[in-house]
Amino acid sequence: MTAAEVGRPAPELAPGQVGGSAGPGRAGRAGVRLVRLHAASRRVLACLLVLVACAAALRTALHWLPHTGVLSRQIPLIIEAGAAAVIGVTTRSPFGEPERATGRWLPWLRLALPVTLTGAAVGALAAGSASAHLAYGSVGLLRDVAGFTGIALLAAAVLGGALSWIGPIAYLGVTLPALSGGWATPWIWPARPPHDRGAAICAALVFAAGVAVITARGARDSVRE
Amino acid sequence: MTAATAPVTAPRSWRVPSAAGPARLLRVELRRSPMLWLLPLLAAAFYVSTYHPAMDNPPFWNIRSAMLQSHTLLVFAPLLAGAGAWAGSRDGRRGLVDLVGVTAMPRWAGQLASWVAATIWAELLYLAGVAVLYGVTADQGAWGGPLWWPVAVGTATVAASCAVGFAAGEWLPGRFTAGLAALVVFLALAGGAFAIQDDATYAQIWPLNVQGPFPSDSYGIFYPYLPDLAIAQVMFLAGLAVAALGALGLPAAAGGRWLRGAAAAVTVAGLAAAGTGTALAGTARLEANGMVIPALHDAASDRPTPYTPVCGRGAVPVCLQPAYRAYLADVTAALGPLVSQLAGLPGAPVRVTQVDVTSVHPAPSNGIGFGPPVIEGRPAVLYLPLSGLTLPGEGNTRAAAFISNLRGQYGLEIVNEFVGLPSITPPGTGATAIGVVVRGGHQAQLVIAGALERVLGLGQQQPGPRLPHGATPAGRGPFSPGGQQLAASKRFAALPEAARHAWLATHLAALRADRVTLSEIP
Repeated sequence: MTAAEVGRPAPELAPGQVGGSAGPGRAGRAGVRLVRLHAASRRVLACLLVLVACAAALRTALHWLPHTGVLSRQIPLIIEAGAAAVIGVTTRSPFGEPERATGRWLPWLRLALPVTLTGAAVGALAAGSASAHLAYGSVGLLRDVAGFTGIALLAAAVLGGALSWIGPIAYLGVTLPALSGGWATPWIWPARPPHDRGAAICAALVFAAGVAVITARGARDSVRE
Repeated sequence: MTAATAPVTAPRSWRVPSAAGPARLLRVELRRSPMLWLLPLLAAAFYVSTYHPAMDNPPFWNIRSAMLQSHTLLVFAPLLAGAGAWAGSRDGRRGLVDLVGVTAMPRWAGQLASWVAATIWAELLYLAGVAVLYGVTADQGAWGGPLWWPVAVGTATVAASCAVGFAAGEWLPGRFTAGLAALVVFLALAGGAFAIQDDATYAQIWPLNVQGPFPSDSYGIFYPYLPDLAIAQVMFLAGLAVAALGALGLPAAAGGRWLRGAAAAVTVAGLAAAGTGTALAGTARLEANGMVIPALHDAASDRPTPYTPVCGRGAVPVCLQPAYRAYLADVTAALGPLVSQLAGLPGAPVRVTQVDVTSVHPAPSNGIGFGPPVIEGRPAVLYLPLSGLTLPGEGNTRAAAFISNLRGQYGLEIVNEFVGLPSITPPGTGATAIGVVVRGGHQAQLVIAGALERVLGLGQQQPGPRLPHGATPAGRGPFSPGGQQLAASKRFAALPEAARHAWLATHLAALRADRVTLSEIP
């Protein structure tokens, strides 16, 4: 786009609609376009492809994994953390300050995107584990993915969207020894059984905090990136 | 200043490039490496994953050094791969590939400088962690010296993680690359754990594998640490790193023809080293003191480490390796009453001496079985292994629990060994039954063993042994409650100590040969 093109209508809009009556149809189309552009700027399609790959990896792993023991938990957890890390990376904005200054609907988009992607991740991984034995089941999957995603979102707010993967990966590194160590703290929720209320509350709190921070402030912009 | 006012300098003549250019480039890369910003997180991860668990264990060099390989690298390797990918994808993310491709220095050299900078920071932090942990361990008075081979594997893993991540970032620059590189390394480590548990032949090369199935307190004290597996792992990891970095020099943009040829040679050499390391690891076999790779084994490692044992002062002295000096009182409290009860009888141990193991045998799923204590020699000595036991100070284990466990686990075995009950472990291991007897025969031995266990109060602490084919646990089968044997056992246990002692002194040789009938037992 050049400077000469500024002010021209977007290709999706008919010429008669420019400056004309603003109907609900136009608002709807503009909203859809806004969501589409926001999703494109965050590489949502690539993220969804990675989530599908994670689901396929989980399905493959569950075919080989034992039904009990630490390994039956470790590999699914790694895949869940990977899915959360990818969701965190989508929070990175390529526009930075101009987007924040002009985007009136930006907080809503920032709220919707991680929540939707988290739902997609849970759905994809649940589908991947269907008809196979997943230790801790779908409830554990929901809790763990939500908690990991919350950590990724908080890391995005602190480190920047592109480096948000550090949060869930580092947390996972601390968590894996806890699986065999029998840690009791609910803040290491992957080591707790799925019906553990404290662990579920901690994971939900982290997810809510991550979503709230990303909605309000967005991912941290790095000067270098 | 404009271009017009810029000072005019005389054209420089051609000269041989000095080391100042690469050194300056390295300094620049060290300052701007993203690894620098990851150091606080890595330090925190080291504390949580390694230092804190290490302090929950007794100060043994083998336990602490094993943690530096298995615990630390599980957290470090994925993070370093991700950070390496982030550093490697820098030029691609910023659209600078063409710009840096036309600089005077070959592109490959610039990439290597960036990797070296990232790796230096990571290695410095890892070695700082090693220094802190080993320093604290030395300060706690650990016997012997630090084990350096696990640290060598650790440094090689750090370098390889950075290299693999860096290469991934260079080849596939993008916002998801770093996270996916970390994820893939995590999955590779977990897959290695799965493969090694599945007894896959070549899985011993797994970088978190310290000495195969051996518990971390069972090697490196009585004999030198066997470096065979570590050498193969270092070979594999170094080869992996070299191959990944060499592959960066293969594209046309990396440099001239000769440089690309050198990169190809380096890549091939790296792959060959990695393959050789893996093949060597596939030949590893389990022996008494650790994992042995015949092609790498040094016979000097089979000589025992000299030491002066520390001994108690009881009627039957208990002698331990000096590394276990702190547990002498506990071991004496656990076994002293038992060996005192047997003292004076023919073949009774006159001393208890700690050994590393009495026998080992592999078990499925990368498991290992240790033989129980044995009574051998003339005069008889009770050889006592403590490897694999949970020691006081390990986690929440207290001295009372250790004493109780030691009596419960080894008391029955010592009594069984003393009365001559047969071994159920694989032939040639010299190990004896763990509260387990073979069907048929040995009725009198069972009765006397049961009586002694009753007298010594060992019956309540039955260990849970792995039963071999055709064996039944003591207390069941031929020794079922209410049977004739149980009555005889109770009767013998109720005898005065002097009478028991006198009968055993007379009949022990026949009892061990299984030539005593139930009717001969008073």
